[in-house]
Amino acid sequence: MTDDERLAHFEARIGRGEKIEPGDWMPPEYRRQLIRMISQHAHSEIVGMLPEGGWITMAPSLRRKLVLVAKVQDEGGHGQYLYHAAETLGISREEMIEALHSGKAKYSSIFNYPARSWADIGVIGWFVDGAAILNQTMLARSSYGPYARAMVRISAEESFHNKQGIEIVLALIEGTPTQRAMAQDAVNRWWWPTLMMFGPHDSESPNTPALVRWGIKTRSNDELRQEFVNQTVPQAEAMRLSLPDPDLRFDESTGNWRFGEIDWGEFWRVVGGDGPCNRERLQARRAAHEDGLWVREAMAAYAARA
Amino acid sequence: MSDTQWPRYEVFVQERPGRPHQHAGSVHAPDPEMALLNARDVFVRRPECASLWVAPSATVRGGTAEELSQLVAAPVSEEGSPDIEYLVFAKLEERGTLAHVGEVHATGPDDALAAAKAAASRPPLALWVVPAARVERTLPEEAASMFDPSRHKPFRDQAFYHIQTALRRLRRDPLPIASLQNRGKKR
Repeated sequence: MTDDERLAHFEARIGRGEKIEPGDWMPPEYRRQLIRMISQHAHSEIVGMLPEGGWITMAPSLRRKLVLVAKVQDEGGHGQYLYHAAETLGISREEMIEALHSGKAKYSSIFNYPARSWADIGVIGWFVDGAAILNQTMLARSSYGPYARAMVRISAEESFHNKQGIEIVLALIEGTPTQRAMAQDAVNRWWWPTLMMFGPHDSESPNTPALVRWGIKTRSNDELRQEFVNQTVPQAEAMRLSLPDPDLRFDESTGNWRFGEIDWGEFWRVVGGDGPCNRERLQARRAAHEDGLWVREAMAAYAARA
Repeated sequence: MSDTQWPRYEVFVQERPGRPHQHAGSVHAPDPEMALLNARDVFVRRPECASLWVAPSATVRGGTAEELSQLVAAPVSEEGSPDIEYLVFAKLEERGTLAHVGEVHATGPDDALAAAKAAASRPPLALWVVPAARVERTLPEEAASMFDPSRHKPFRDQAFYHIQTALRRLRRDPLPIASLQNRGKKR
């Protein structure tokens, strides 16, 4: 078969809804895009443990602490599922971790923002995990079998992440005026960065056409962002929390909540490495890796015992 | 040995007794015992597990439907009698994963894969054979210590949180924002 015939066969398989499995022929660009996406996704889970992990020892009750530990553990596990999925494409975990630690690899820009108060832990679960679930539910239908299966597993586990966050926010809004103000302050700071999580506008997103054509993604950044706004505005209204966007209004003709323009200058600045916490996050990852060296040495010595 | 790249082990999870072990993913570990512990930590944070198997990725021989179609029929290339036992895993549904479907005896991995393909009830979408002797398994008497801790963490399940009920209540009885200013400390 020529490469053109192979490509036609491959695209026909995707058209029929078949899953591509490791070992199947795939265009080099499909493999490259998947490695890029899956490894970024894995890094996001791993770096995503940091903003919340810092609050484990400061959780306001034992129950909240147990829940937060469980959530952060899930994120570590989800990173591992995803590194595995990427490894099936021929890249090694070591190469991916090296790319993260050297600053070469990207991860979700949202984790470069700080979690300043306990209310942030609630709003991260409500907004950030709510946004992540929309993206992951879409990716669970991805054409690449190992990625889709990792996403099915992750989506099933993550709905608790979103709900525990909403529960924290509900406790704060029904608490003292100070607690309510904490919740409002966290909403104000996380709203726009969360909308940026979905990535650039479709018209500005160079990877989207190939990703949609090959069934890696089945919905665009703007579609997912709109669905997030539509599901979150009524929740905020019920909680009587305001969202920091004067242009937010309901459009009767489309049934969508219209929202103001995102500050793309900020988005690209944070993606480019100049967000509030980029350096701190990478430093924490590198330190964790170096501090864990003795554990790896001990495990290797145990494995090598006579 | 490099810093992080220990050998990879494929992980198979049995959700309930009597169900087949299904491929869940892989872990890195310096030896099979550690691989089982890592597999438990990575793949079993929730109660749906009765047994775990791990096998070194390097011992797996397999192929997708596309690759199996190019497999030459009955390549009995290896010498000796077919006395090595292989576990067979097959992916039969597009949305499914590799699941344990049985065993074959063969003289080597290529024979085992050909025998597994010949024995399949319908053409598999992917097929793996793994030498049974290289599979490390949790023992029934270890199951309690390996898997019971996850049964005592109901807060890992979304049903633990009654968010929709709370939001419905707030829509029915909106928070009186003004009076919030005058509310005292904790009730």
